[in-house]
Amino acid sequence: MPTQDEIFKVVQETLEDALGVDDDEVTMDATLQGDLGAESIDFLDILFRLEKGFDIKIPRGELFPENLARADSSFVQDGKVTESGIAQLREKMPHADVDKLAENPAVANIADLFTVRMMVNFLNHKLNG
Amino acid sequence: MRLEGQVALVTGGSRGIGKGIVEAFVKEGAKVAFVYNSSKEAADVIVSELSANGEVFAIQADVKSKEAAQKAVDEVLEKWERIDILVNNAGIIRDGLLATMDEDDWCSVIDTNLNSVYNFTQSVMRPMMSQRSGRIINMSSVASEMGNQGQTNYAASKGGINGFTKCLAAEVGRRNITVNAIAPGFIETDMTEAVRNAAEGEIKKAIALRRLGKPEDIASTAVFLASSDASYITGQVIEVDGGLTLGGI
Repeated sequence: MPTQDEIFKVVQETLEDALGVDDDEVTMDATLQGDLGAESIDFLDILFRLEKGFDIKIPRGELFPENLARADSSFVQDGKVTESGIAQLREKMPHADVDKLAENPAVANIADLFTVRMMVNFLNHKLNG
Repeated sequence: MRLEGQVALVTGGSRGIGKGIVEAFVKEGAKVAFVYNSSKEAADVIVSELSANGEVFAIQADVKSKEAAQKAVDEVLEKWERIDILVNNAGIIRDGLLATMDEDDWCSVIDTNLNSVYNFTQSVMRPMMSQRSGRIINMSSVASEMGNQGQTNYAASKGGINGFTKCLAAEVGRRNITVNAIAPGFIETDMTEAVRNAAEGEIKKAIALRRLGKPEDIASTAVFLASSDASYITGQVIEVDGGLTLGGI
């Protein structure tokens, strides 16, 4: 079973390859979109590469849930994620730092849930149970 | 040779335009797998004729099936380990006025012409994204723009392909994958035989170059789009119609 460091190394290499970034940019706290410049097609590429790198299947939406910021009043009101929305995010993204989003729940901040740390935690859970 | 060592998959490759593309690709040095549905004899003849000059094999598959498409793509990957070019060419016509068109005639045209494009293209996304390169060429038709009576199903399928082509080009451009469509005019194939027999003279009058196209005219455009000469062209629908759609008087 790979250690967290080993998982991070693979994630780091994956992101270097997929996004054309340098290894020193891929820190645990780096956000995929804001810091590393990932676009929607990149998430698919990253997923494919992780599946290959770890020889696992990652069901669609499990690592990178889609359509999170939907225009639904139970999820978002006045540009902010509601309490119910925060609860939904905790359920959908148990490895993301939803607490941090809850401090400033602007819809635009949802993208910051997608961090290197979130990926490493997800994979650690997936690979090591 | 412009496609030396490239691996291509062509749907609807046993007849008409598809056959022309298979022949042209092999001539240009590509390794070609083509998909056919029912024309086994024709497919066997093509394989036997072209094998002397290159690598080619035929896959029987129903392009309407996502599972069959994935299987065909997997077969090519197993054999040649990559796919550089996908030509979504398979297509049928079931012309008739909409007022009386059977649901089966509508659905079979949409399934064969449009849904097959989804089936095969999605199946090559993964290898092409990993390769950081790919060429997707979709066979549209001038019918998508012309408003021919009796072709609501066919025109809808081809119009769908045009939109698909532009959207996908935007999605995968940064992975160095180009996506283009060719919109042929009247080409001398089995598909247009009935219309040609009924009105060839009238049709020629509407074409600026005063002749029908040949499968080779489309194949040469496909070779161009697949080659490095077209590396900066994406999201385009290229009309290859001898001037049929100029619309002047």
